[in-house]
Amino acid sequence: MELIWAVRGFEILLGWSLLLQTLEYLRLPSLDKLTQWPILSQEIPARPAWLKATLNWLFQPKPYTAWLCLRAVLAIALMLGQVGLAGAWLLFVMALLLLLRWRGAFNGGSDFMTLVGLSGLLLSHLVATFTDASLGWQAGFVYISLQTVSSYFVSGWVKLLRPEWRSGRALTVFLDTGVYGPLSRNSIYRNRIVSLVCSWSFTLWEGLFPLALLDVRLAMLWCTVAALFHFLVFWFLGLNRFFWAWISSFPPLIYCASLTPQLRQF
Amino acid sequence: MDFTAWLIVAYFAMLAINLRKRWGVIDGPWLFFFRAFFPNWKFYHGIQLAPRLYVRGQFDTPTWSDWQLIYPRLPRKGFHLFHNPAVNLALAHQNLVDHLANDINELPVGADIRDRVTYQLVKQLACQALSGGCWGDHPMLSNPTGTELSAYQFQVRMELPDGLNSQLMLQSPMETPWN
Repeated sequence: MELIWAVRGFEILLGWSLLLQTLEYLRLPSLDKLTQWPILSQEIPARPAWLKATLNWLFQPKPYTAWLCLRAVLAIALMLGQVGLAGAWLLFVMALLLLLRWRGAFNGGSDFMTLVGLSGLLLSHLVATFTDASLGWQAGFVYISLQTVSSYFVSGWVKLLRPEWRSGRALTVFLDTGVYGPLSRNSIYRNRIVSLVCSWSFTLWEGLFPLALLDVRLAMLWCTVAALFHFLVFWFLGLNRFFWAWISSFPPLIYCASLTPQLRQF
Repeated sequence: MDFTAWLIVAYFAMLAINLRKRWGVIDGPWLFFFRAFFPNWKFYHGIQLAPRLYVRGQFDTPTWSDWQLIYPRLPRKGFHLFHNPAVNLALAHQNLVDHLANDINELPVGADIRDRVTYQLVKQLACQALSGGCWGDHPMLSNPTGTELSAYQFQVRMELPDGLNSQLMLQSPMETPWN
């Protein structure tokens, strides 16, 4: 895969993911009367005092809306390939602010993966500042790929270590507890054989994800299955942000896999 | 096998070994906020007791309503793939219950859980749910209660995902909406 296409794919997908997240953040104040900053701010350490004062100002309704709008503009600029080092810094700092606003995470894993993408973007631009753009993107993409592959690898193997996943029982239980659940009485996932086959298929596919780094064709296959997997996670558990956050990491991953034959020559 | 491949294999072997190891918890307020930098990537890894929030209220009479579970359940829509704030908010509220349970478990001797932000937020969640609160346009309670809430209580129970093996972890004192 050509670096230029990987970069464009990554920027478009990450920008799109950030844009969707930001539009949700902008909608939340009208839906959420619970997690108000005056209560949440009690957990922010009192020192340094300037930081707490700055956060108190940034999370007032008007400034909060303003910098979320700026984030949306930057997300669009990223999709258009117009974000440089300053924009990458801004997006990274905004991600940190959102972590503080939402007690470390608003939507768990998707926030973690978004941070991986933004860290990779920032790393790329930082390295490019001191060397060249190509090396910068490669550094950022290696970081993103390692984190992405690790996420599947760990997620797969922790399940394989558990008897309830090996028996297929956990799949039915978790789908029943999903936000769009419970499963209907005659759902195929209540069938023991189906849940057993699905559990083993997905956990083995996750656990063997490092193989995707060996060859670009394997990477494409693994990423295609991953897209289906994340869609199903959205369909049953409502985790739409996970879908976009992980998909944005696929161009870097496919690019890194395409480097493997070149590395073998050394 | 070339050196790069060895490095990749070594990295994932190290990850695999760490899956079986139990590491101590590094604690601190800033680390809590920035835990996203150290993701453990363990999603839905096992069936275990999980905290669930139950509420009951008095509606202009001294009679308590039945205990009701507050748990995010919303109807699925296709466009949720692109825009899903109500569901994500509901999941964030359920996370507050998880964090309250965690705070209870780690509460130092002599400390009062009511001073914790998680307790205050969950208390408000209980009040809102009983006052007809919604996630989007969907009520937080499956059986919405009366209108004029005069007092309420909440419980955190540890339960298996199928609702079995329920263990009471915390019961709040009687609270009033205006307090």
